[in-house]
Amino acid sequence: MIVSAILLAGLYATMSYGLALIYGVMKIVNLAHAGVMMWAAYVAFILIVHLGANPFLVPILIAPVFFVFGVLLQRYVVQRVMGAPPISSLLLLFGVWLIMQNISYLVFSGDTKAVTTKYTLMTFQISGISISINRLVVFIVGVLALVVLRQFLGHTYMGKAIRATAQDKEASKLAGINTERVMETAFGIGTALASLAGSLMALIFAFDPDFGRSHLLKGFCIVVLGGLESMIGVALGALVLALAEALSVLWLMPALQDFVSFALLVIVLIVMPGGMKELVDRLIRP
Amino acid sequence: MLDVKNIHVSYGDAQALWDVSLAVSRDEIITLVGSNGSGKSTTLKAISGLVPLSSGEIRFEKTRIDRLHAYRIVEMGIAHVPEGRRLWPGLSVRENLELGAYIRTARNVKKETMEWVFKLFPRLEERISQLAGTLSGGEQQMLAIGRGLLSKPKLLILDEPSLGLAPLLVDEVLETIQKINRQGVTILLIEQNVTRALSLSTRCYVLELGRIVLSGTGQDLLADERVKAAYLGL
Repeated sequence: MIVSAILLAGLYATMSYGLALIYGVMKIVNLAHAGVMMWAAYVAFILIVHLGANPFLVPILIAPVFFVFGVLLQRYVVQRVMGAPPISSLLLLFGVWLIMQNISYLVFSGDTKAVTTKYTLMTFQISGISISINRLVVFIVGVLALVVLRQFLGHTYMGKAIRATAQDKEASKLAGINTERVMETAFGIGTALASLAGSLMALIFAFDPDFGRSHLLKGFCIVVLGGLESMIGVALGALVLALAEALSVLWLMPALQDFVSFALLVIVLIVMPGGMKELVDRLIRP
Repeated sequence: MLDVKNIHVSYGDAQALWDVSLAVSRDEIITLVGSNGSGKSTTLKAISGLVPLSSGEIRFEKTRIDRLHAYRIVEMGIAHVPEGRRLWPGLSVRENLELGAYIRTARNVKKETMEWVFKLFPRLEERISQLAGTLSGGEQQMLAIGRGLLSKPKLLILDEPSLGLAPLLVDEVLETIQKINRQGVTILLIEQNVTRALSLSTRCYVLELGRIVLSGTGQDLLADERVKAAYLGL
């Protein structure tokens, strides 16, 4: 159970880092993140179930398509509300999410879908622990994406420009950085991460057009826990949430699992609004 | 080189600049002086494209640059070191400098430019892997100027480079600015310390309440008792 929680944490981290990246660079909360996850799940469903594509390659192959979708969404839609009060972008992206949901209801109906492949039920044993191959590969792909992204942010001009723009946008403009291009790229990467998470989740969970809602909330919780700046923080936040959820089953009804992330979010915001970074700081310098 | 003609700038309903005109020729050091809120910083931000004009025009080497994106203005050869340094605190000294050379023409000569900057500010080389946020105030100012230089500017704009520095460091920074100027970079600068500013610059403009009220060489202004009393607070 603990192992499966850790495997799930990798997926949570992929999803949450997309949110954190977009918020970090643009200071907007991307509610359409859930819509992207849901669409990616349907695209994966079509490619895998109807067209027989390899389930583990599909998430990687569709991510670039969603990157382009994110860039276009930023350039032609979100860009219009940059600099406006936060409520504008919140409402706008909520609207985008609703549109995406309703398109899915029209096209796919509200039925629950699931992607079952030959890997779905396959497991292997290590020292008495049985591990689902499906979940292991999903974990590896998710974590690999974050490792690649970390290299990109640390070692390329565009990656550094993204970090610089997140820290001080005006200074970045003065350094000759085209911050609009940077924001488009960041939104694209965030969207690609959401699609990656969504299509990977489709391999594990059943979904419908409302898919992504509870995950979005978990994403917020993880980002608050882990802090917005660091990928490691987000990864730890994802781990804490995944473990809390897994362990809560011991005391709570499974139906109340989503309650855990809500409760954790509220508790963290009240007790230590700085997230785990604050906790670590306190432990080092009491 | 730089021609600012009759510009007006407003922030919402509040007008910040009225009919400001100034000219900078190659190899000059021009200072803007004036009290807080007189529009010095706004003038610089208008030049580097951070605030839009409501009327007037700005030309750099004969090309109109108002209405260009800020990053395009950097590409034309104007680097603006903003007030308060505005480094990226979570990036290392090296990364701050590297991103200073973000524009394409600067990337190709990054290595040489960086060596030049290290010759001007040897301290930066010692601190190369440190995060910019952990530097002292003086070092941060050096880094901010260094970052500006890495774009290989023809015109370097400096907004109060001596703000918050110890007197000894102020001299050091101002001397370095003169040295940079002698190596062929034109300078436009805001300096609070009026006596120092006037003695190091070729010409100087005095702003008051968003208008230019006086201009001339440093010696002229310093010699004018009326000017000293009314505008320079000496």
